[in-house]
Amino acid sequence: MFLTRSEYDRGVNTFSPEGRLFQVEYAIEAIKLGSTAIGIQTAEGVVLAVEKRVTSPLIEANSIEKIMEVDTHIGCAMSGLIADSRTMIDRARLEAQNHWFTYNERMSVESVTQAVSNLALAFGDDDADPGAMSRPFGVALLFAGVDEKGPQLFHMDPSGTFIQYDAKAIGSGSEGAQQALQDVYHKSMTLKEACKQALTILKQVMEEKLNETNVEMAVVTPEKMFQMFSKDELQDVIKEL
Amino acid sequence: MSIMQYNGSAIIAMTGKDCVAIASDKRFGIQLQTVAMDFQKIFEIGPHLFIGLSGLATDVQTVAQRIQFRKNLYELRENRKVKPDTLMSMVSNLLYERRFGPYFVEPVIAGLNEKTGKPFIASADLIGCSVILEDFAVAGTCTEQMYGMCESLWVPDMSPDALFECISQALMNAVDRDCVSGWGGVVHVIEKDKVTTRHLKARMD
Amino acid sequence: MEAAFGTRNFSNLNSSDSAISHQRWSPYAFNGGTILAVAGEDFAVIAADTRLSEGFAIHTRDYPKTYQLTDKTVLACAGFHGDVLTMTKVMDWRLKMYEHDHHKKMSSSAIAAMLSTMLYYKRFFPYYVYNIIGGLDENGKGCVYSYDPVGSYEREVFRAAGSAGAILQPLLDNQIGFKNQTGVTHVPLSLNKALELVKDVFISAAERDIYTGDSLIINVVTKDGVKVDRFPLRRD
Repeated sequence: MFLTRSEYDRGVNTFSPEGRLFQVEYAIEAIKLGSTAIGIQTAEGVVLAVEKRVTSPLIEANSIEKIMEVDTHIGCAMSGLIADSRTMIDRARLEAQNHWFTYNERMSVESVTQAVSNLALAFGDDDADPGAMSRPFGVALLFAGVDEKGPQLFHMDPSGTFIQYDAKAIGSGSEGAQQALQDVYHKSMTLKEACKQALTILKQVMEEKLNETNVEMAVVTPEKMFQMFSKDELQDVIKEL
Repeated sequence: MSIMQYNGSAIIAMTGKDCVAIASDKRFGIQLQTVAMDFQKIFEIGPHLFIGLSGLATDVQTVAQRIQFRKNLYELRENRKVKPDTLMSMVSNLLYERRFGPYFVEPVIAGLNEKTGKPFIASADLIGCSVILEDFAVAGTCTEQMYGMCESLWVPDMSPDALFECISQALMNAVDRDCVSGWGGVVHVIEKDKVTTRHLKARMD
Repeated sequence: MEAAFGTRNFSNLNSSDSAISHQRWSPYAFNGGTILAVAGEDFAVIAADTRLSEGFAIHTRDYPKTYQLTDKTVLACAGFHGDVLTMTKVMDWRLKMYEHDHHKKMSSSAIAAMLSTMLYYKRFFPYYVYNIIGGLDENGKGCVYSYDPVGSYEREVFRAAGSAGAILQPLLDNQIGFKNQTGVTHVPLSLNKALELVKDVFISAAERDIYTGDSLIINVVTKDGVKVDRFPLRRD
């Protein structure tokens, strides 16, 4: 691909003669440099787990935030250019609150993902809506939430494409992790099992040794909605690995 | 706001079989502030004859006294009791005398004819344009509500007990949807041989 | 030209010393109409008369003021008919867009919340419309939502509004809410009793209110959908 680089690399909205948008494809490639993030959907709820690259002992590990709450019933994990995700999370939060304001009901996970994907596609347009950038976003997102259809997991990439998954891995370790997910996933998985599997797989693909400071995990359940794992809670799961 | 709504009031008269009833609320207020909950708005004119006055409280009292005065004069001069329809004419006259500076009251009269025992109810506007009715008459700050209640609840030839229930329900449910009337009610049921006066407990808000 | 700016001059052309009277044009009119909704355990009744009038004139004797929004929700509107037309059009548009965006029908409560925001967004040039929504909620129970013209709303069991709202409401308080009744058992409202009551109160309203009459449209919402019934009222 890099050999075919040409003038079609310049404009973000110009198709190559083969019908490709190189900048979008490069953006998708950028995700593969990011830290690994995993999402697993079960009948009891959805779990999100991400690795944090603590590259220096001088880094304050809690200041790296890769799982965020969008609304009480929706969480989001990310991989890639984390700075780009701020605008997208902002949009997701805005859309979710706007929906609640207008309809007095929780926005569905699919609708939130759809709203964010609209933003992801608005790049390069001078007079596009506020928040859109001149280039594609360099981040992929995993939206996990609970709505009237039950626990749901959605993946969205920089092209704005979003697909629902039972289990999905993104980031540098995604290839191995996705294969591992395929091997361990089954429909009757409990949420506890899913949490354990998520960390087990992260452990396999991470370069550093997994501990409670270099991973983040959160669950979304119909009972307690979005909940981040504390360090103590993380430790309890890690002990059982 | 109209001066007719300044103090708040509600009055209903209703006919039954050989009986009539007249009811009012008890509130005296100044706009939205309630001042008293035992304000008299129905006045006894004869053994089977009552008049209810709705509207501006000061005029209610003045008109009540002037009606009493004229009724006394009538009885002394004529040496007989005043009939319900005569009272209506008297009140009508009294109000029309102030055609261009009226008393702000709307009267409702309820009584039985002394000779025939026939039920009589009538009402008038504040300058004495009177009308005699067969079913019910209403006046006050919640006439719409009272009309709605009476129109649905009233049936011909009610017994005194049924009439009491009907007029009480009509009054109470009407005043509960009006913020300047209510705070208790009073009902007089007039029959040939007795007048029963009952006081209604109501919402005080 | 002046009319286009919303004012008309009624001046005396003969006198130059000018006792000019200005009459302001109003963007609103009142076209009457009475609306009513009652919620039962597993049904809702939404009714309205069909008279459309202005002053002492009757525009039409056959305009139903109820609008079926979904198979679970009916909206009733009274007030200024021009605003009613626009508002219900916007409502239909919003309903369709929601269905496209979220792949589902709007629930009664979502419609109720949306109507409130629609009305409030015109807070300083309001739709002169009195609204009542009746239907079934997410649990299949009957629901009624009532509004003021600028979007204040509340879920209730019964509500009457429009030109004869004050005539109907106290009777509903008494007969459905059991207000001022002591020693009665609060039996759940049956559909038959609700229908009888609705007819009765509208007959009463048509007696006393000149803006209510001609005929009555009754929408009954159950889990099987919306059934529409008609009933004659006095036409004078």
